[in-house]
Amino acid sequence: MDSRIATIARYTLLEALRTRLPVLVLATLLALLAASFFVETIAVTEGARFQTSFYAAGVRVAAVFIAAMVVLVSVTRDFDDKGLDVVLALDLPRSHYVLGKLAGFLGIATLIAVAVAAPLAWSATAPALLQWTISLAVELAIVVALALFCVVTFNQLTPAASFVLAFYLLARSLTAIQLMSAQPLSGMDTLSHQVIRFVVDALALVMPALDAWTQTAWLVNQQAAWSAVFQVAALSALYVALLAAATMFDFYRKNF
Amino acid sequence: MKISLERPVAAVPRWVLALLAAALSLQVTWQALQPRPTARAEALGAPPEPAVLRTAALGEPIGLAQLLTLYLQAFDNQPGISIPFLELDYPRVAAWLGTILAIDPVGQYPLLMASQIYAQVPDPAKQREMCEFVRREFEHEPDRRWRWLAHCAVMIKHRLGDTRVALAYADAITERARNASNWARQMRIFMLEDLGELEAATVLLGGLLESGEVTEPKEIYFLTERLGQLKSAGKSSPATGSRQAKP
Repeated sequence: MDSRIATIARYTLLEALRTRLPVLVLATLLALLAASFFVETIAVTEGARFQTSFYAAGVRVAAVFIAAMVVLVSVTRDFDDKGLDVVLALDLPRSHYVLGKLAGFLGIATLIAVAVAAPLAWSATAPALLQWTISLAVELAIVVALALFCVVTFNQLTPAASFVLAFYLLARSLTAIQLMSAQPLSGMDTLSHQVIRFVVDALALVMPALDAWTQTAWLVNQQAAWSAVFQVAALSALYVALLAAATMFDFYRKNF
Repeated sequence: MKISLERPVAAVPRWVLALLAAALSLQVTWQALQPRPTARAEALGAPPEPAVLRTAALGEPIGLAQLLTLYLQAFDNQPGISIPFLELDYPRVAAWLGTILAIDPVGQYPLLMASQIYAQVPDPAKQREMCEFVRREFEHEPDRRWRWLAHCAVMIKHRLGDTRVALAYADAITERARNASNWARQMRIFMLEDLGELEAATVLLGGLLESGEVTEPKEIYFLTERLGQLKSAGKSSPATGSRQAKP
């Protein structure tokens, strides 16, 4: 990696450490862990299963939220504090700034995934936990790349955060929406249905169906096939590359 | 001179454009090659214990009961697939309905679903199963739930032709649901008549008129006329077939 990209990545990581991200992750982890123990105590049967499912599903959403906010706030701070202006005044290609920030954020995403997965070591088997952690890390990679793209494109926190949230919710429900649009109970031949179906199918071509990522069932039912995990990882890498290219495309076209 | 907010596309390095085009093409190609998602019917799981649900409701048991009702109602229409009610696991369905009633006893929706939706399938055993569920739940709140049992009584009598069971339901309404409408409380008299038990029907109808529970003049006139017909039928002939048997 180019040393300048590595330097930006290192400072991105340092910034996360100095803005008390580890404390936030630890507090979230402990809160969800405590809540999962409570759920375990009120469950009449399958207490451990209830606990694992509750913690895994809750921490997945919390990790996505934290990772997205770290990216959005960090880049917004660069914009507002004119730190970006200083960086751009240096002999540094714009792509290096994007790639450096992205590398740092990907490192943060991986660390968050590993940290929140650690408590599951007590209840899940090692292969299942490894699969779940890899999947969460690559899911968070997509989220941070998307957040970076949004904040560079929209320049402001609120629209960027709204877009990330909407994209994530849509990506988690895309398969169900596709199924429902393919086989409606009525009105299959109407023009409106044909249009909706076309739009949904088009969305499915350019969006990852995140319901296939980081499934709690891998922890509490049966571990996934490794091929499925590799496919998820490959799709994530491709999508991160796409988002990085789109971010650089937008960033190069901006006038500051 | 006005400065444009965006630079031209030519300002973007070619390798970035190439990466964007390649990644987008690969993404679209990969997704297009994936098989379309297929719908898969999921079995209805057992409901959690009412005590657990009450705790999980966080102080909103009515809201939770309504959510569970909608979940159950939508179970026949899972994404991309429609499951006929007939194929649902009825003991499970009854367990869910019972659980929902346990956390929101005032709600009528589960009983409506049992008597008007799940009991309408063309399977006598399942119809009886749902009606028995309504009968069991009726016992907990007769004055609030009699109308659903009355519906089941009529359905069992006319659709399944089982007047004995229908009479048992009608008896339960008369005996347990003091605030039920008169038509429902009088239902057993006409069922007894249908069964040919004219003497019992006469006694019950006479007792009802004497009790003063019926106050509407036209209803009193109708029932008195009916009592007269029963008495004359009882004198002229022994118990004969039912009204239902007539064309």
